[in-house]
Amino acid sequence: MKIGIEAHIQLSTLSKIFCSCPTSGSENPNTLTCPTCLGLPGSKPVLNKEALHQAIKVALALNCSMPTETFFSRKNYFFPDLPKSYQISQYEIPIGINGKLENIRMRRIHLEEDPGALIHKGNTTLIDYNRSGIPLIEIVTEPDFKSPNEVRLFLRKLITILEYLSIYTRKSEATMKADANISTTGEKVEIKNITGLKEIERALEYEAARQKKEPAEQQETRGWNSEKGITFLQRTKEEESDYGYIFDSDLPKIEISKSLQEEIKKQIPELFLEKVSRFKTQYKLQAEDAETLAAEKELAELFEQVATNIDPLLAAKWLRRDLMKVLHYNKKELKEIKIDAMHIIELLTLVKERKINDATAKELLIKLIEKPFSPREQVKKHSLEMLSSETEIEDMCKEVIKNNKSVVEDYKKGKQEALHYLIGQVMRLSKGKADPKETEKILKRLLQKTVVS
Amino acid sequence: MKINEYLEKVKSKEISVVKTVEKILQEAKNSPNHFTAISRSYALEQAEKIEKNPEGRLAGLPISVKDGVCVKNIESSAGSEILKNYRPPFSATVINKLEKEGAIIIGKTSQDEFGFGGFSVNTKKIPKNPHDLARSCGGSSGGAAGFTSFATQPHIALGESTGGSIANPASFCGVAGLTPTYGLVSRYGLIDYANSLDKIGTIAKTVSDAFLGLYHIAGYDEKDSTSLPQKMLQEKKVKKIAVIKESLNVDKEIKDIILSKLKNYDTISLPSIKKYSLPAYYLIALSEASTNLAKYCGLRYGQTLPLQGGYNEFFTEVRSKYFSKEAKRRIILGTFARMSGFRDAYYLKALKARTLIIKEYKKAFKKYDILVSPTMPVTAPKFSEIEKLSPLENYMMDILTVGPNLAGLPHLSLNAGFKNKLPVGIMLTANHLEEEKLRALGEEVEND
Repeated sequence: MKIGIEAHIQLSTLSKIFCSCPTSGSENPNTLTCPTCLGLPGSKPVLNKEALHQAIKVALALNCSMPTETFFSRKNYFFPDLPKSYQISQYEIPIGINGKLENIRMRRIHLEEDPGALIHKGNTTLIDYNRSGIPLIEIVTEPDFKSPNEVRLFLRKLITILEYLSIYTRKSEATMKADANISTTGEKVEIKNITGLKEIERALEYEAARQKKEPAEQQETRGWNSEKGITFLQRTKEEESDYGYIFDSDLPKIEISKSLQEEIKKQIPELFLEKVSRFKTQYKLQAEDAETLAAEKELAELFEQVATNIDPLLAAKWLRRDLMKVLHYNKKELKEIKIDAMHIIELLTLVKERKINDATAKELLIKLIEKPFSPREQVKKHSLEMLSSETEIEDMCKEVIKNNKSVVEDYKKGKQEALHYLIGQVMRLSKGKADPKETEKILKRLLQKTVVS
Repeated sequence: MKINEYLEKVKSKEISVVKTVEKILQEAKNSPNHFTAISRSYALEQAEKIEKNPEGRLAGLPISVKDGVCVKNIESSAGSEILKNYRPPFSATVINKLEKEGAIIIGKTSQDEFGFGGFSVNTKKIPKNPHDLARSCGGSSGGAAGFTSFATQPHIALGESTGGSIANPASFCGVAGLTPTYGLVSRYGLIDYANSLDKIGTIAKTVSDAFLGLYHIAGYDEKDSTSLPQKMLQEKKVKKIAVIKESLNVDKEIKDIILSKLKNYDTISLPSIKKYSLPAYYLIALSEASTNLAKYCGLRYGQTLPLQGGYNEFFTEVRSKYFSKEAKRRIILGTFARMSGFRDAYYLKALKARTLIIKEYKKAFKKYDILVSPTMPVTAPKFSEIEKLSPLENYMMDILTVGPNLAGLPHLSLNAGFKNKLPVGIMLTANHLEEEKLRALGEEVEND
């Protein structure tokens, strides 16, 4: 099985690619438009340099070769969402070629404008040109994927890289649109316009299974019906060159100097893959922990701040498991909360020094994502310290044994779960402050002596 | 009255702007089909303001505008039916520049649809030549040149040239037509024919008036990415001129008139230009035009039809109904030249030929300041004669003007004399940004 993809990603510029209309800020249709993005007669495009620079940045981050000069072309086709009936895109010489991300080769990366959007309402179709002229990059891979799952993992890594480059924001995966081509035993089939990573994987899985039953006899283009979970025939394959490309002579050639490349290269931070391998060697993290922490820019930064002051393994465990769980449960993103690395350090120091137990630490973590406070002061103020005095715990253990005769009996009969229940009861009695390990030790000792009457 | 004299009298309030504008509006109305739209109330409103307060270096000067140049709220249809009644929401940069200097827009002049033609017959309102109403004004800026010849009041016309559309009608109407270096004048607001070739220029009764117009519309514009940051060069001295050998292969009388205007000249052969410029021009211009015209599909502006059937049937019906035969021919030719399988042999090869042509010109300009040729191989033809021309014979008429247009070179056509009472134009071509040399030699020829 061979799969290749064309991913379309919106750049994060403030204004559109060929005019000064803003890229966001209004939900009302056709309010973010001007003569240029509406394609009115006499209007002319002017390239937004920021869009060019962002595209160069992506191409460099994906290890592409770059031409010294590039230009725009007109891709001609008729569709009601396309104001000029041609899309300004790139054809012969894209911004980047021959890139690589791990084992996947990138054929080309080019810059282009988004058309408008069709809105279907009952029997009528309306057109919103707010999107017209939004800058996009198209990333085309070689057919290097061997399974739909590989595609998904690749796109996830790609998104992480784009996040590191401050180009992509993970509001939802829906903003990643892709076309995918897949060939199993027969001819190549292209599936157009799939939105979201999970959908891309689903569509490819469906198509792989379908082709096993009915191998494609000719190249064709299919659509993806997400609701029914099936692909459907749209047309037999049109070659790219049928778009009658010509140079867009409204836009002069663009020089990409070595110095510009160098300048943009300097703005590229350490990216996902480098970060994962550094985390593994520098902090001795497991591969899985390193990948989870590096997958989100803000999480990686927080981890490194915490790990300089605390055992990195403990920091990794708490940040990737517990903090992520708490955030996920509360439907929050790390980047939208105010969390102070110093407070996490304090919290984990309390854990490390066995001043508080895990349950207390988790409670505090939940509160920390709401608003910043000093965990040390909080523990002092509400006397949340772990009970480690043996006599205190022993008294509680005795009481629990006395009040749970049947459970004790079960324990005596060899039921290990019974012990866990008793530990739980002690924790409850101590309002969560007892040291669970100490409690277990004491309980076991006391139970040995206890005679069931 | 010379324009400079008029402008001084406006400043000193010795002449009434309102009366002048009223007179020229009347002339526009009486002109033989030179206008597609006359902006009477807007022009008079401006005239009153300027008469009271004559500010700006062109205060009170009437300007006619080729239909393809957008003027806010005034019908701008580029001579086409598909854009009939289209009123742009913005003005071209050249219009803003002229109005800022106090110039007064009097209306839009007739032209071949989207500039497609050399006789201004490919449109509904066909302008007639003031020298003989049975004859063409030339094209595609036919109304602009025709009215320049027809008007008695001070006036400058804005024209536009893609392959010779300023020089050609200037020649047929016996006036001065100035096409500047590509990029010297902003194209923002010009309805596109072929983006790599289109140039806005001026047409006036005299060379100095044509230049006066150019000085006020030239200059860098951030809204047009192909606008040049450089200014016109100041060098005016014309040391050596050469007549293009291949261009003299025309009517003997025309040839003699041209040569009689020159004192010392060499003859130069430019074989590549003769051989390649016409096919290269048409392949490039039509490839670009066929993409530029794709936007006219009845959906957002211009003419439309009731929405029914699929989108493909809808826009096909609109385009079939409102594009003229010539527009359709050019769309089909242009689409063919860039289709897969033919793109290399036609469109891309034409671009290579263009590079070759530019090289040949550049080499010639190392030795000569100005190249000279007749503007047109003939004098203004009768409409009855034009009807008999095949499309190819029509395109052949551009043989002398397409060269400088392909190379983006400034060129000036001015009257050199008359053959059977019909004007004969002489065309001067200079190197990029050397418009001032055209002026120097042009004024010399004019005063001869």
